[in-house]
This record gives sequence, structure tokens and C-alpha cells, in this order.
Amino acid sequence: MSSPANRSSRSVVLISSAFVLVWVVIASFPFIWTLWGSFKVQADFFSKADWRYALWGTRTLIETGGTFTGAGYEGAWIQEEFWRAAINTMIVVFFTVVISLTLGTLGGYALARSGHKYAFWLLMIALIFRAMPHITLVSGYLLPFFEWNLWGHLPTSIIVLVAINQPFTLWMLHSFFLNIPKDLDESAKVDGCTQFQAFRHVIIPVMWPGVITTGLFSFLLAYNDFAVTSMLLSEENRTMVPAIAGFLGSTLEEGNVMFAVAAVVSATAPLFVLVMFFQRQIVSGLTAGAVKG
Amino acid sequence: MAQIELRNVSKRWGSFVGVDDFNLTIADKEFLVLLGPSGCGKTTTMRMIAGLEDVTDGDILVDGKRVNDLEPKDRDVSMVFQSYALYPNMNVYENIRFPLKVRGIDPKTHDEKVRRASRMVELDDFLHRKPAELSGGQRQRVALARAIVREPNVFLMDEPLSNLDAKLRVSTRAQIKNLSHELAVTTIYVTHDQIEAMTLADRVVVMKGGVVQQVGSPTEIYDRPANAFVASFIGSPAMNLMEGQVSGGVFSAAHVEIRGLNAPDGPLTLGFRAEDAALAPQGSGQITAPIYTLELLGDATMISVRVGDALVSVKADKSYRAEIGDMVSFSIPNEICHLFNAKDGARLGD
Repeated sequence: MSSPANRSSRSVVLISSAFVLVWVVIASFPFIWTLWGSFKVQADFFSKADWRYALWGTRTLIETGGTFTGAGYEGAWIQEEFWRAAINTMIVVFFTVVISLTLGTLGGYALARSGHKYAFWLLMIALIFRAMPHITLVSGYLLPFFEWNLWGHLPTSIIVLVAINQPFTLWMLHSFFLNIPKDLDESAKVDGCTQFQAFRHVIIPVMWPGVITTGLFSFLLAYNDFAVTSMLLSEENRTMVPAIAGFLGSTLEEGNVMFAVAAVVSATAPLFVLVMFFQRQIVSGLTAGAVKG
Repeated sequence: MAQIELRNVSKRWGSFVGVDDFNLTIADKEFLVLLGPSGCGKTTTMRMIAGLEDVTDGDILVDGKRVNDLEPKDRDVSMVFQSYALYPNMNVYENIRFPLKVRGIDPKTHDEKVRRASRMVELDDFLHRKPAELSGGQRQRVALARAIVREPNVFLMDEPLSNLDAKLRVSTRAQIKNLSHELAVTTIYVTHDQIEAMTLADRVVVMKGGVVQQVGSPTEIYDRPANAFVASFIGSPAMNLMEGQVSGGVFSAAHVEIRGLNAPDGPLTLGFRAEDAALAPQGSGQITAPIYTLELLGDATMISVRVGDALVSVKADKSYRAEIGDMVSFSIPNEICHLFNAKDGARLGD
């Protein structure tokens, strides 16, 4: 511990720790600020008089009799029925993740094990679609959806979100599958599995962390999506993100900013829980011990 | 019970020929070794038997039944992979049990079978461990146990020892030999190590460039190699091969003159084994040349001289002492000489 090499690195450790600390503070500040402000009234959090009102809750105390208030949450969840949006989000996210993971694992596995050249070109096409802005897809879909009377429903936006998501999950799972030695498939087949049993009993258990990681990414994409859901869903079917945008109001109607702030916090909190919960699964070294070395 | 027959089996990828017109009948309970340098088609041949590789041409028959179109699982073979291919998410016990499980064998018998297999490869103390917590040799034994657990008809091994260190290789080799004796199952074993082939095989198939060079018992292959390639591949050291000219029954090359050979005039490749030749009194042998190198092997001394481009070695007594550069004479009696066609390497005469 006291070797010269270690001693000289102590300052490096100090500097890098300080850097990381500063970075964490800067990165998390907007979240903390929003969380704090969501328990104030609009006159505090968006105070024109003094920004420090947001810290001490001066106006909140005057308006509600306490320095913290749940008025924003009450308004968003009860008055504006934000829970409907939350349920819609759950439905959309659940089906988007399930469908794109199912197609992604099967397709990624097939492409990873295919010796054919077209596998490469399929992946290339997938990459191109992935690179396109989401809104280009949506604008193309709008007319047929209106014509066929499909606009505004949850399944419609699930399909579009899957379409946007699929190239990415395909790519990611494909590269995870490439890391799993082919010997494992073959060994399973000789041991008595069909191709699908080998996939199901041998490959997927090994792939689990990769599936979780990919699933998390497609979850986030569907959860955070604004372009698709705001364009394709009718008002009663809106998911959380467009609902929050709705609270902010438009040029025609006045919104309630504090509802939006409370809704933002409500929508962010589950993400923290989710990432914390799955961080153990997102690990490398999936196949340690499978093959030599 | 499994007799395997390969009829005109070929494997091609586009214009590349992996295995060319392979014909062989492997008897029930035979231990067959496919031997050859890397890329000779030996692993491909095994994979075709396992069903992991499609056969381009020809038929594979097990007990007279054509199996070309059967899935690997329906061929009743088991295989040990070079990389072991253990299931990393399962412990040793579950790894060994896996073939029983997926084949729907009565679950009541699993425990007994797994324990018997693990006892045979001495893995009893490691059953609860994950493959990642095992050494290379232990992983190798798990792969062996997994292959023997359901007592298949055919046992395939793809270079199972190549990832082990030298010492472990010798002991595992002995274990495999003992195991195959105990199980008495048709076994096909792929290796590029001629010592493994010599020690394990009932019969050896030597391959090169997808073509079978020779099929025979280890003794046959060692004593009567069918061509110069087999001669140069089998034995440690391999057979000495010298290029020279024959005229009137006399083979001559630089430093070499061997008389009384029954060979036509013209170029010839002549071979002999290091242990068959002997030292001769200075100047009286068939080869007289300066010593290129001396290697002490413990039980013997290997003396090498240069003949043209080739290095020719002769085994001498372990007490032999000389300096590099000293002249030495070897006696090469005609009986020990193997004659090969200089052009295609085919064996000549007898």
C-alpha cells in the first residue's frame, strides 16, 4: 500500500473522486430540484419574485399553511386522472417489450447462427431503420391509420413502437448470441435437444442477462417515447409522457404546470426502482466456464 | 451395438473439398482414431457422423440404417467437444444429468446414472460446483461423464485432450482407454497427436487434405506406412526420409550410399526409423556425415545428421558422447529401409 507507485496515485484518486462527485451532483441536480419543487405551489417553483421561494416554500406556506404540499400530485392523479395514463403506459410498455424481445431473441439467434450472407444484409437494413428519426415512421403511418380507422388505439402505437424498437433489439441480441459459443448449441443437440429445445434450455438461460439488458433498453424506449404516442393516441388513451405534455397546456388552453411537475416525478420514480432492481442482472461474463480457458 | 458404415462420403463447401470419398466400416465396439494434421477433414468426418454437418455426397449407415437425414438427437451418439461445451448455468450434476432429462428418461433412474458416470471419471466431490469453478481437467471429465451417462451406441470425441497440459494429458489418456474398455462402445476419436492414436486405437485412419491415406492397426501403420506422408506423421521421432537417386540398385544422396535395393533406377525417397538403425564403426556404415546435433533423451541419445535438406536421426545408447561436427557412421541394413515413390510418395515394393 505504501509503495511509491501507490502513493503517487493517491492524488489521482482524489482528483478523479472529486470529478465523479461533481459530475454526479450536476447530473442529478435537475431530478432533485424537480422532486423538491413538486411539493411546492406554482408561485414558488416558478417564482417571478425570488428563486429562493422554491427552496423555502414561502408562497406554499401562505397558500396551503405548510411548506410542503401534495396539491400537484392530487391534481394530477385524482383530478386529471393521471392513473389512466399510467395504466396505458404499462400496457404499451409491457406489450412492446414482450413482443420485441420475443421476435428479437428468435431473430437474433437465427441471424447469429446463420452462415448465410443475407444475415449481414438484414442486419444492415435493420441498422438503417434504427438510424431513421422516429417521426418519419409516424408520419408515414398516419394516413393509413386514419383510413383504416386504427388511429388512437393502444395496439396501434404498440405496433409502431415495436417496429421502431425491433432493429435495435435484433442488433443487440444478435451480438449477445454471437458471444455464446456454437459448441453449446451443438452439444445440446447431440445430448438430445431439438434446435428449439437447445435454444430454450441451453442458450436462453445463458443469455438471460443479455435479454434483461436488451429488455431494459426497449422498456426505456417505449416508456419515454413521445413522438409516436403523442401523434397516434387519442386523448383518453394517452400514455404518461404525452399526458405530461398535455398538463403543460397549449397555446389554446392554460395548463397546470404543477400537475406536470408532479406527474414527471411520478413517471421518473419507477425508472429508478427498475434500474436498481435489474442492475445485478446486467453483468458480463455470461458464459464463464462453458468452454476451455 | 453399433456398426458404422461410411459409403463414398464427401463434404464440399462450394469448390472446397473438406472430405473426399470416404469409405470405411467401423466395427461394433471398435475404437477408431481419425488422425491427421489440422484441416485434414477428420473433425468434419466426425461431425458428419454426429449429424452436426450435412453430408454432400454418399451415405452414413448405423447398423445398416441410413442416418444422413436424422437429427443429431436421433442418432444415439454422444460427443465430447474439444472446448468441452459445458452448460455454464448448471452445476456439474445438472450438466451430467442434462442428456437424461431432455431425452425423457425415467427420472427415478437419473440419480443413480449420474452418480455412476461421475464415479467413473472421479468427479464425486465436485457435483455441486459450476463449470466456472473447475480446472481444465475437471471440466474435461464433466464432458466425459455427460457423454457416457446415457450409454450411447456411439461415442465421439473431438480432440478431448488438446486443451490439457502434458502431464494431465497422459493420465486422462489412460483414463479414456480404461473407460472405453469398460464401456465397450463403438468410439470414434479425433486427434492430431499420433501418440494418442497409437496408444488408444484399435484402428487408425490417417487423413490428409480430406483424403484417407491409410487405414490400419497402429502396428501396421507404424511398421508399413502406405506412403511418405504417413511415414512422416507417425512415430516419435517420425521416420527419417531422404531424397536420392537409384542407379543399379544403389541409392545415393549426399553422405549416403545404400546398396542392393530392389528399386528401379531414378529418383526415390528412402525412409528408416531412428530406432532401427545403429551406429557403425567409423567409415563403414551406409551414412557417414558430420553430427548436426545431439539430443539426450534420458533413455537414449538421438544423433542427427543432415542429408540434403533432411535431418536424419538415429537412436544410440544413452552413454554415447560426441561433439557436434564430429564424423559419425550409421549402419542402415536393407531390411529396415522403406522405399517410396519420389513423385507421389506411394510405397514401393513388397
